[in-house]
Amino acid sequence: MTKAASSIWTAELRLLLRSGRNLLALILLFMLSGAAVWAGIAEIEHQRATIERVEAEQIRDLATVEEANAGPEGDAGYNAYYAFMLTQDPPPPLAFAAIGQRDLQPYVLRVRALGLQAQLYDSETYNPELALPGVFDWAFVLIYLLPLVVIALGHDLVTGERETGRLRLLLSLPGSGLWRRRIGLRYGAVLAALGLPLIAGGIVMAAPASGIAVMLGAAALYCAFWFGLAMLIGASLRTSATAAAAMIGCWIVLTLILPTLANAAIARSVPVAKGIDLTLAQREIVHRGWDVPKAQTFERFFVNHPEWRGKEEFEGRFHWKWYYAMHQVGDEAGAADVKDYRASLAEREDFTRMLGLVLPGVGTMTVLHRIADTDIAGQLAYQDSIAAYHERLRRFYYPYLFDERSFTRTDFAQIPRYETRRATGTLDAASLIALGILALLLLVAGRARMARIGARRRS
Amino acid sequence: MSAATLIAREEWRVLARNRAGLIAGALFVLLILVASFTSLDWRSAIEADRARYQASVDESFDAQPDRHPHRMVHYGQFVFRPIAPLAFFDAGVDSFTGNTVFLEGHRQNSANFAEARQSSLLLRFGQLTPAFVLQTLAPLLIIFLAFASVGREKERATLKLMLAQGFSGRSLIAGKLLGHGAIALGVGLPAFAVLIAFAATGAAGWASVALMILGYAAWLILWAALGVIVSALAARPRDALAILIGLWMIVVILLPRALPEAASAQSELATKIETEIALHRDLLEIGDSHDPDDPYFNDFRKQVLTRYGVETVEDLPVQYAGLVSIEGERLTTQIYADAADRQIASESEQNAFVHAFSVVSPLIAIRQVSMALAGSDPAAHYDFLDQAETFRYDFVQRLNRMQAELLPGIEGDDPRIPSAYWQDIPRFAYDAPDPLERPRSLVWPFAVLLGWLVALGGLAFVAVRRIGRSAR
Repeated sequence: MTKAASSIWTAELRLLLRSGRNLLALILLFMLSGAAVWAGIAEIEHQRATIERVEAEQIRDLATVEEANAGPEGDAGYNAYYAFMLTQDPPPPLAFAAIGQRDLQPYVLRVRALGLQAQLYDSETYNPELALPGVFDWAFVLIYLLPLVVIALGHDLVTGERETGRLRLLLSLPGSGLWRRRIGLRYGAVLAALGLPLIAGGIVMAAPASGIAVMLGAAALYCAFWFGLAMLIGASLRTSATAAAAMIGCWIVLTLILPTLANAAIARSVPVAKGIDLTLAQREIVHRGWDVPKAQTFERFFVNHPEWRGKEEFEGRFHWKWYYAMHQVGDEAGAADVKDYRASLAEREDFTRMLGLVLPGVGTMTVLHRIADTDIAGQLAYQDSIAAYHERLRRFYYPYLFDERSFTRTDFAQIPRYETRRATGTLDAASLIALGILALLLLVAGRARMARIGARRRS
Repeated sequence: MSAATLIAREEWRVLARNRAGLIAGALFVLLILVASFTSLDWRSAIEADRARYQASVDESFDAQPDRHPHRMVHYGQFVFRPIAPLAFFDAGVDSFTGNTVFLEGHRQNSANFAEARQSSLLLRFGQLTPAFVLQTLAPLLIIFLAFASVGREKERATLKLMLAQGFSGRSLIAGKLLGHGAIALGVGLPAFAVLIAFAATGAAGWASVALMILGYAAWLILWAALGVIVSALAARPRDALAILIGLWMIVVILLPRALPEAASAQSELATKIETEIALHRDLLEIGDSHDPDDPYFNDFRKQVLTRYGVETVEDLPVQYAGLVSIEGERLTTQIYADAADRQIASESEQNAFVHAFSVVSPLIAIRQVSMALAGSDPAAHYDFLDQAETFRYDFVQRLNRMQAELLPGIEGDDPRIPSAYWQDIPRFAYDAPDPLERPRSLVWPFAVLLGWLVALGGLAFVAVRRIGRSAR
């Protein structure tokens, strides 16, 4: 950059920051972004501490179970009944910026070798009134508050000059790139105020740079969309006041009205009552198991567990091997309902994603929470890992039950433990590209409008 | 006609010529209507769903075959929380609380299948109800109509003219307040009409609806007053608009989200897992009914034998195991109840922290009023849990008594009692709480709204003095 060019930029920067309103808006954005990152980190630390606390309690609890049920005379059936095993879903590294559903969805859950479907949907404690307004995190600052800062900085780019009577002079000046410089400068400043706290947070939380880059990329596109809109509206309307009002109107429609309307429509068209259906069906099957011949239950169990055929006989009215087989049969009978239930959840997610292709706020939300792995998909992945673990757990007990082996302390030590799932955060490229296209459309339209002012004035 | 009403009428005349304002107003009315109808539809779908589920689980309970009563204790009952009629107006925490609980012996299960856990993140943008529109969007409309009310007169120098004509600063501000207060009520009118129509059908109590309207009227007037006063105090209408939107952002968007973060840092909620482990430990400390040498249950056995005047357990006219179940249930229930109380106490403590800030953000006050009157606040949810728990204890103990009293008369190694007995077990009948019976939850938020109005009245005097000075 030549000295002259760089001095133009410095001059423009000084001009930008000399306005009390602009400076205030930028400082406010920087502070809010910082506060949100800080709050997000605090929430993640809180979740980690909770997991640690629960793990410590769990160790004590398992020791009591071992004391009572494992030993030379130990019965695997009792042990499997009383040994609740802990699964935990520690916050993924990017969760601090986009907490998503993690305030509602359980991140610790205990399961035992009984029917999984009666255990998988248990809630953890959370305070519903605190969850109601939504979380205060970096994603919130980006989606809701950044547009307002863009409006504050960008609505009067043209109208402001017209109102102070400088527009004609500015347009008659030789050289091009005045608007490009001004808008570029504002864009960079807004993005820096928003992004620097995120980068700092990413370093503190040792988050992967690629993930932070995706988040910043989404922010850059979302921000570009709003600057495009500012150019389009600012160049189309006569006064700063009407431009500001029109932009705020757009903000209300795009971030408050359309998403809530769409949510009502999605909730209406995709009911998710299947969750209750499958729980009820599972209960019926498990309890009917007590009233139907045991051979019938074993037959159904052997369909997927043929290796235990021939070992089902026992004396008396009760045997644990029958009890666990009955629970497993209950789970298997509800498999179709489980599939339906998950499909309805996935369908809601898909509708939301599709909406995100046209609504930039929703699209940004989708990208951020998908890469952070804190959306419904992340929760379903956690449930899948619990289901896989549950299978390992019950298969571990079967040999003790069907072969009538005693359950000693050595065996207790062998009980499989849940291994934390690998985070499944992915780049939702389609949503990001759609966001890019939206931003580009607005920028092109805005630029064309801006060019018209110049042309009109010069002709 | 007084000077103030003259000024108010002039203000309406000016606003009636404001095309953008009229369009925004019309859109707002449309939005209120759309919100009302989609929300009514949403509520009645939920109501029908939950009623259907409740009927079907009740039916299957009756249809269970002959069984050992303890099997029925674990077959248990599902209860579904009926949604409050006014929840269509303000869904409150209904989507965030589980609405079904599985009730069984010696366990307290969580309320599951909260809508929010099954929705995409879109739900976190807000739920489209009339309350959302009135709380979040109505203030913006009022601001847009009022931000220039006094500033416009200053800018066009009509202010000096009016003061010269003999209008006092006081009547000017009073007139603007009157004009915009009436407009604010007009903004609320469609929603109020929906509420009144709803009450007229008998679906909701008049007292709740009247208080609801009163609360929202105060909330809307508060924004009109804020708009007029800021307009009078700010140098230019543009500045007034910026200040008002900034205030709206802080009061309506930022604080309600940021405060819960601070509140949850204030006190820790124990996880369900920790509570369960602690419960288990407490129970073991009291006694283990399976342990023949357990002092607590040995005492219990002695008492039972004395009560029936027999020497051994075998001589009892009732089944001893059934009596142990009754005693065990009594003990666990007490421990569970204590844990539930602790849980509710810590949640309420967090909420009280947020509520205290309603002095800064009156949105929190109106939200409290609205949720409580709609029957969709946490208190109503706790009440449901409490009723479900009372019901659970009752039906489990009935089954335990059946075990103790009926089983000794039944022969065989697989004793079952006839299925006709299941129909004697009562069904869950939810008695919806009346929010007006908990007036304390309403007094504070109403006081806060009133306090805001009084404070704004004080500020109006400051504005009057400023106007008077500017005339000189």
